[in-house]
Amino acid sequence: MTTATLPHAATHSSHEHTESSGWGKYLWSMDHKIIGLQYLFTSLLFLFVGGGLALLLRWQLAYPSTQVMPNGDVGNPMSLAFINPQFYNSLFTMHATVMVFLVVMPLLIGAFGNYLIPLKIGAGDMAFPLINELSYWAYALSGIILMASFLVAGGAAAGGWTSYAPLSSVAAYNNTQIGQSLWCVGIFINGLASIMGAFNYITTIVNMRAPGMGFFRMPLAVWALFITAFLLLLAVPVLSAAAAMLFLDLNSGTNFFNPAHGGQPLLWQHLFWFFGHPEVYIMILPAMGLVSDVLAIFARKPIFGYRAMVYAMVAIGFLGFIVWGHHMFVSGMNLVLSAAFGVSTMVIAVPSAIKTFNWLGTLWGGSIRFTTAMLNALAFVLMFVIGGLSGIFMASTPVDIFVHHTYFIVAHIHYVLFGGSIFGIFAALYTWYPKMFGRMLDETLGKIHFALTFVFFNLCFFPMHNVGLGGMMRRIADPTAYEHLRALQPINQFITLAAIGLGFSQFIFLWNFFRSLKVGAPAGNNPWEATTLEWTVASPPGHGNFGTTPTVYRGPYDYSVPGHVRDYIMQNEPPISESPSGKPKHAVAVG
Amino acid sequence: METLLCLIKDALEVLTQSQGLLVLFKAFFPLTFPIRRADVSCPRQKAGEGVEKWKIHWRLLPMHKLFGRPLSIFITLILLGLSSAQAEIRETSVWWLPRNVNMFGHAIDFIFYVILLLTGVTFIGVFSVMAFFLVKYRARPGVPAIHSHGNNTLEVVWTTIPVFIFLGLAIYGNEEWSRMRRQTPPADALPVAVVGEQFGWNVRYPGADGKLAKMDAKKISKENPFGVDPADQDGLDDFTTYGEIVFPVNRPIRLYLGSKDVIHAFYVPEFRLYQDMVPGRVYDFVWLKAEATGKFQLACNQLCGQGHYKMFGKLSVVPVAEYESWAKGKAPAPAVSGATSGTPVVLNQR
Repeated sequence: MTTATLPHAATHSSHEHTESSGWGKYLWSMDHKIIGLQYLFTSLLFLFVGGGLALLLRWQLAYPSTQVMPNGDVGNPMSLAFINPQFYNSLFTMHATVMVFLVVMPLLIGAFGNYLIPLKIGAGDMAFPLINELSYWAYALSGIILMASFLVAGGAAAGGWTSYAPLSSVAAYNNTQIGQSLWCVGIFINGLASIMGAFNYITTIVNMRAPGMGFFRMPLAVWALFITAFLLLLAVPVLSAAAAMLFLDLNSGTNFFNPAHGGQPLLWQHLFWFFGHPEVYIMILPAMGLVSDVLAIFARKPIFGYRAMVYAMVAIGFLGFIVWGHHMFVSGMNLVLSAAFGVSTMVIAVPSAIKTFNWLGTLWGGSIRFTTAMLNALAFVLMFVIGGLSGIFMASTPVDIFVHHTYFIVAHIHYVLFGGSIFGIFAALYTWYPKMFGRMLDETLGKIHFALTFVFFNLCFFPMHNVGLGGMMRRIADPTAYEHLRALQPINQFITLAAIGLGFSQFIFLWNFFRSLKVGAPAGNNPWEATTLEWTVASPPGHGNFGTTPTVYRGPYDYSVPGHVRDYIMQNEPPISESPSGKPKHAVAVG
Repeated sequence: METLLCLIKDALEVLTQSQGLLVLFKAFFPLTFPIRRADVSCPRQKAGEGVEKWKIHWRLLPMHKLFGRPLSIFITLILLGLSSAQAEIRETSVWWLPRNVNMFGHAIDFIFYVILLLTGVTFIGVFSVMAFFLVKYRARPGVPAIHSHGNNTLEVVWTTIPVFIFLGLAIYGNEEWSRMRRQTPPADALPVAVVGEQFGWNVRYPGADGKLAKMDAKKISKENPFGVDPADQDGLDDFTTYGEIVFPVNRPIRLYLGSKDVIHAFYVPEFRLYQDMVPGRVYDFVWLKAEATGKFQLACNQLCGQGHYKMFGKLSVVPVAEYESWAKGKAPAPAVSGATSGTPVVLNQR
């Protein structure tokens, strides 16, 4: 495990650009920290946009505007009249698109990736600062394009975020030619942003680690982002290509996906899910890494089985590329193929299980501090377990045949993406907000926010399992159109009430976030008594991060080392045997 | 404003309903009782050949009884008293699987319960361990954390065990799946063709000869929804319906599924059956045998456009004699322009 071959390259790159001043600093800066914050604020904005779309969806499901009463009365006094079936289809398409491409990915990878990677590996900036800034602006542009698509004739794309062809590829079938085309353009540009970010991260992590920062001394958050960057680099180009083909089918008369002229609809599904399944791990791996760091900090313990955690993530990254077929069991797949995909899907549950057990092992024997960040991290573990376990139902082909495209799968995806990723994001925000802004978030407000979010989240999404088992299809604008679903309507209304509660709880977070910018308690360098390099510098760190390149002497999680005065040892503290005052008592080495 | 008032009213109703033992009892009653009723109304002794194995499993391990009720009670506790007052009558529990009427459904339900058992135990285990750790290892002054980097034996153990469990599950699920798919439909199976279109169902039945005209996906068009050759002798006495399917009970039925435009899906929860219908292809491997009579709804379960949410069809399973008299009353279809429709009847029918 040698370190970077260019020991002093770390701070070098920061001299390639200088700190801008005034407002331009927040718009055109190439500093990775400012870019991280740009990603953070933009994606938080989209979080509320996406959440608003979700609430409109839920309202329609509880009080359908298309409802025709048995006695002939049209409509429901509670309904929002402007949600017609086509607009409903646009709503869920754009809800998923916004949440996946404009919220979860940019928050985890754009915001935390940018902000934390150089700080955690002891580098002055990213390897390619200009590309980094371009990546943000490509992302912002894709957001603007996708939002603008609501305003064009026909409305936004309405083919589901999976955009299955030929519904999505033939204008006569979807009636949203412009919206769907803009969707393709938006996704394509968003893909460019991801690709630019990904190779930047890889280059930075491989080349710019501080002296002594071996691969197995990197915090798990960096490992997770490193592996995620590879997934992005391999998966996103496939989606971009598919989006380009879809655009051509829609506008230029090609027929890649249209069977009426010799195309193959399943080609779209293969391309989309070859991206789509790694995408699931792209959205959960960074959260896993960040949460691992948070758990170690607040349990005051080294991560249990650090290397096993790394290998598990590598395994997830690899296996993530050979399971995409499980999204297509219902398309009438060849038996040999479905067997292979079924096995690989079951096997990918193993590394997830390993990670869960190791998180529990980290809690074992700890000295657990129940901060808001820790509560969110614990919720992440628990909700991820539920989301992971409910996935096993779909991995088994015969059961998948029954629950596929019902609300069971909606519950599953939200337990992974909201219960997992979003709780992970909150855990990370509460942990690193002091580093980003130099002030602490309010813990009381934070705990209220956490409690409400946790309760409403479960009230909202758990019953969806049951609604799905009861046979309710996803993506239908009016469940009361079906006799066998009408009995489920009270549950749908309950879910909507819980969703509204969940949505409004987030304003507490918003209030806390902006209020603490002004009145939060000053954070100091290291408010959580953590060990990794970002906590050795000022909050927020100055341009160039480290005055002198730090040297790393130990692994990332030296908490509660026996015989040491404090219960943590910073990564850049020399070994005790070498320090002038300490006695050589023990040697600590991770990896 | 009106909307807001209604919302408050609804919320109040929910709250008031959840008060008092009586309401609690009322909440449990419809949830637990119908599960039993479903068992009675779904007699399993009318055994078809070759399906004994699943039924034996089913009787030996009545897991639906073990889990259906405790789980529904547990969830009811979470969502106190919501359903009881408003829920319309449903054949089975609101919170649980609808009853199963398809011969293949027993195996699917059985795997479902096996997975539910495994995942349930795992979740309870993880949750208890976590809760225990959180209480026991909360920060207390003077009690330092244990400095430990892990334990390789444990890593090996908790890697190996899941590997075997998951591989076992994969193999088991796959065995059942190939068993279902490999079983060729019996020769006396009734062939029925169903072709989806935006937004309705073309259905084609064989006439007295019991044979359907041969379908060719390439020939499917607006005028020829089933893609048949007009000269095909087998097809001369075929008849068609639009959005109406009738199956004779206890007779194997072989489906020929196709699509005219976009991807649709044939989904009937009571049959535990879902099959995508990708255009350009005729699916001929799906077959089923309904074991009980009743009225069901066929739903399109793959987003197919604006009218997707109401693309349903009427599906009923009737005694054989009733089916035969129904079929006799149908006139043979014109050779090509297959659908009796013109106007999509299904759209506003309940």
